[in-house]
Amino acid sequence: MSLDTLLKKLSVRSPWLFRINAGSCNGCDVELATTACIPRYDVERFGCRYCGSPRHADIVLITGPLTTRVRDRVLTVWNEIPEPKVTVAVGICPISGGVFREGYSIEGPISRHIPVDVNVPGCPPRPQAILEGVVLAKQIWLKKLGLEV
Amino acid sequence: MSETLYAILHMTLFPGGLFALTLGLFYKALDRRVEARLQRRVGPPLIQPWLDIAKLCTKETLIPRTACKSVFLAAPVVGFAGMAVCAAFIPVPGVFGGLYNMGDLLVLFYLLPIPAIAMMLGGSASSSPFGAVGFSREMLLMLAYEMPLLMILLAVAMLIGSQSGGTAEFSLLKIIDWQLAEGSLGFHPAMIPALVAYLMFLPGTMGVVPFDIPEAETEIIEGPLLEYGGPLLALYQMGSALKTFVVLGLGVALFFPGLISDYWPVNLLWFLAKCVGLMLVSLTLVKSATGRFRIDQAFRFYVTVPTALALCSLLLVWAL
Ligand code: SF4
Repeated sequence: MSLDTLLKKLSVRSPWLFRINAGSCNGCDVELATTACIPRYDVERFGCRYCGSPRHADIVLITGPLTTRVRDRVLTVWNEIPEPKVTVAVGICPISGGVFREGYSIEGPISRHIPVDVNVPGCPPRPQAILEGVVLAKQIWLKKLGLEV
Repeated sequence: MSETLYAILHMTLFPGGLFALTLGLFYKALDRRVEARLQRRVGPPLIQPWLDIAKLCTKETLIPRTACKSVFLAAPVVGFAGMAVCAAFIPVPGVFGGLYNMGDLLVLFYLLPIPAIAMMLGGSASSSPFGAVGFSREMLLMLAYEMPLLMILLAVAMLIGSQSGGTAEFSLLKIIDWQLAEGSLGFHPAMIPALVAYLMFLPGTMGVVPFDIPEAETEIIEGPLLEYGGPLLALYQMGSALKTFVVLGLGVALFFPGLISDYWPVNLLWFLAKCVGLMLVSLTLVKSATGRFRIDQAFRFYVTVPTALALCSLLLVWAL
């Protein structure tokens, strides 16, 4: 195994998470910020860390239905994230619009603007589902690095 | 010739360079792990900082178009190099006495602010408004915590200087020798306020909660580090790990250099244990029990409490 492959293999064990709120009701954000961190679930055991800057992110968690007002900002921030990045849509909102579907100010579903790698449905999703989404995102990240799982 | 060779070895292998980096990253990992355990979580594995660095090396480096490119690229290197030099001066009692036997305490005092200055430079060169906010906060905080540090070092130097017949003793080697003969300063009545002040100085200089104000990720999204990514961020992280090694090692050298045996591996482990103990008390416990100060509160805290304590020690030393 070459050094490059080794580094890549190791690197997926340190996914840094970045949250983008695309107009969510905050239900999903609360799940991300608190529930996924409490003792029973703890994302940190996968080596994850929530980071404040899009430049440091590896896995992007997007919540909310993408409203007209935030669309351009979300796209700007998403473009700031260095490759390789994996996008996870958390909650039913980014997937289909959820309870806000067909609203006059809804630009979603998010996959129309951004390539989404993992969908985590639920309103809000259970913490186990979020953790599973993160684990799946790690596998997709490995694929994006050119390595098979 | 051989002296230069020795100096290079000290800089790259032991106690600076590889040894310091390994230990520093180990402290960081242990810190995260213990913090998680205190909150009843599992926490990351102990090799997590190494994994983070491996990850950062595979990421692309983005440089903002409006940034001052040369300073932006040089700042992390300067910060890392400053700390790498610093680490070579740190004595491991019973194993390694120190690089030179004169004035290394003063050199350390001048080198210690380098990572903070590098971060300020990098933040302002990144042309991001958050970097500028981080710059001013870092500056204020640094001004506030450097003052007690200077007084602590002076108190130690004056105490040992006056006891051994001079005025002030700025050689770590002699400071440790004196303590090995006469008992550790951490238990000396005049030095207890200085020790407490040093414990308060640690979280400020390491930039952890409650003094992570310059990098506050929830307010100014990591401030000066905002635009950094990839290998440059890895350099910052390694610099910070080295700094952990330096400030903890300095604390042990100043206050608790006592030995338990003549055998060097035991002394090495004993040094490690003392550093970890110091870290748990002053960084991990504080970090997991508090929230973040505002910059004015932190500034007021540093110019009153630790400064007063350090001054207290200084006066006691002078009066005794
Ligand atoms: S999925 Fe439900 S909880 Fe989540 S943001 Fe949408 S409405 Fe709120």
